[in-house]
Amino acid sequence: MAVVTGELIGHAPVIATAGLTKHYGSVHALTDLTVTVGDGVTGLVGANGAGKSTLIKILLGLLEPTGGHASVLGHDIEEASQDIRRLVGYMPEHDCLPPDVSASDFVVHMARMSGLGASSARERAADVLRHVGLEEERYRPMGGYSTGMKQRAKLAQALVHDPRLVFLDEPTNGLDPAARNDMLRLVQRIGSDFGIAVLVTSHLLGELEQVSDHVIVLDGGRLLRSSATGDFLKQTGNLLVEVVGTETQRDQLGEALAKAGLTCRPRGAMVAVDPPPPDLAGAGVAHDIIRDVAAELGLGLMRLQPDRGHLEDVFLDGGARV
Amino acid sequence: MSERAELGRPGIIHDLGYRRYDGRRDGTGTIALTLFTTGVRHVYGLGRSGKSKILPFLLLGMSTLPALIVVGVVVLTGLSELPVTYAGYVSQTQLLISLFAAAQAPVLFSRDLRHRSIVLYLARPLSAPVFAITRWLSLIVTILLFMSIPSVLLFAGALLAGLDVSDQTTSLLKALSLQVLLATLLAGITGLIASVSLRRGFAVVGSVMALIVLSGVVTAVQGISDAQDSEGVGVVAGLFSPWSLHNGLADAWDAGVSTFTPPDGAWTLAYVLVGLLMAAACGLGLVARFQKVGAR
Repeated sequence: MAVVTGELIGHAPVIATAGLTKHYGSVHALTDLTVTVGDGVTGLVGANGAGKSTLIKILLGLLEPTGGHASVLGHDIEEASQDIRRLVGYMPEHDCLPPDVSASDFVVHMARMSGLGASSARERAADVLRHVGLEEERYRPMGGYSTGMKQRAKLAQALVHDPRLVFLDEPTNGLDPAARNDMLRLVQRIGSDFGIAVLVTSHLLGELEQVSDHVIVLDGGRLLRSSATGDFLKQTGNLLVEVVGTETQRDQLGEALAKAGLTCRPRGAMVAVDPPPPDLAGAGVAHDIIRDVAAELGLGLMRLQPDRGHLEDVFLDGGARV
Repeated sequence: MSERAELGRPGIIHDLGYRRYDGRRDGTGTIALTLFTTGVRHVYGLGRSGKSKILPFLLLGMSTLPALIVVGVVVLTGLSELPVTYAGYVSQTQLLISLFAAAQAPVLFSRDLRHRSIVLYLARPLSAPVFAITRWLSLIVTILLFMSIPSVLLFAGALLAGLDVSDQTTSLLKALSLQVLLATLLAGITGLIASVSLRRGFAVVGSVMALIVLSGVVTAVQGISDAQDSEGVGVVAGLFSPWSLHNGLADAWDAGVSTFTPPDGAWTLAYVLVGLLMAAACGLGLVARFQKVGAR
């Protein structure tokens, strides 16, 4: 099950686990997880209870694994968890902000708890709060913040000590669509512009499609798949065709295409055409056939596009494998 | 939202982009020291809202005022000795000290757990045991300050009135060392209660029960056993409350407190041992509590 993701050329992996296992009595939170994470943004996907938060807590040294090994930024989690905690930032999933303190004071305090001196803590806190987009409200007690502002404050404390890696546990949880997009864009910037490696969890696959370079999929504490986001979304070789009209026109087109030698099946309002057989596999041959067939039938061709995979497919494939 | 504004205006002049930090990073000791001093300040409401300063300073004022009056009287009338001993003063302001510990322990031990910000601390270099012990030390020192400020004022008054320096110094040092033991116990007990109950109201009530009510019961038992001529019962009862330990030891040590049933001989040693064991148990309890919370 060993899979490597990320740009590992020239440096040690950001995170490497080997056979990592965590059992709470009869509950198996993580089972034999072997995975490697590199720079950039890595998405950790899974349903609630798939073991995402457990993995982060083990990597932070807050939980002891039942078995297996792991290292973060080249430090072993059991021997040097303190060194790891100096170099990483953590944004937990749940609420963790005291309501009677301002974001500004709180982030300064958290910077000092990471070992920054008083003046550099203030400077860094002001900088980071600006980056996450907390303006004047940073001087107000956090109890009165909206969920979006709380998430920003939580993110700011995770970044204030300029970590080399941040764990973001469900950063978009509870946000409205606009705030969710803002947060995702910020996550992407942390990985690219800020140069900080990111491990971001979500139970929504679509979100991670947008921002992450690599995706690790967990299901019931087991690794389902780990690879570059591009691999998940790569073209499947299928073509999707849509014509003006109803299902009647769709079926009409489908039957005509089958006669022309292409294997196809209906998918929603569209016709999905499988990769053409060898004799029709030349560049653009299939496209020409589709165009001609539609013209002969007098159907208005509305869409003709290559089909792409989705992260969701992993669960379908994985389900089939298990 | 401002994020979007910034992206819309890429040439914005104050946007310096992300700057890395490659300055100095303190070691664990310095971080713990920062946590310690912040803790001490927060207990007295410093660096917090104006409202949170009221209670600690009100209690401190109430426990210091009698000492100031005593100092005034001693200096003006030229008494030959202080009307109250250092340890006796602590014993008489027992209620105020207990209230202070009960009311302020939640500041250090409930807030982080209740709002779950403890997770943010434990994801940083300080480990759960170091965090718990540092918080405990903060509370010990604040309680110690609360008790020793009046003692030091009395001492200053005694010196101003020209009382014997060596007598006064010996008596003050005896009282201060008993205060260290007492502060350790009070901080441990109230801290443990606050870290378990989380809600400030429950924590205060729990601590008041453990300190004030229990101490009252112990004193009553000691009084009865003294009256019934079965002093042994009273001496044993004294082992069960930090206040009776303090007062009993102060009596046995001739530090100017009198109790119904002072310990003597081996019992004095037992009082010291029980005090130390109780303190160690509180420390272990706090460490266990924070380790458990951190793993959640």
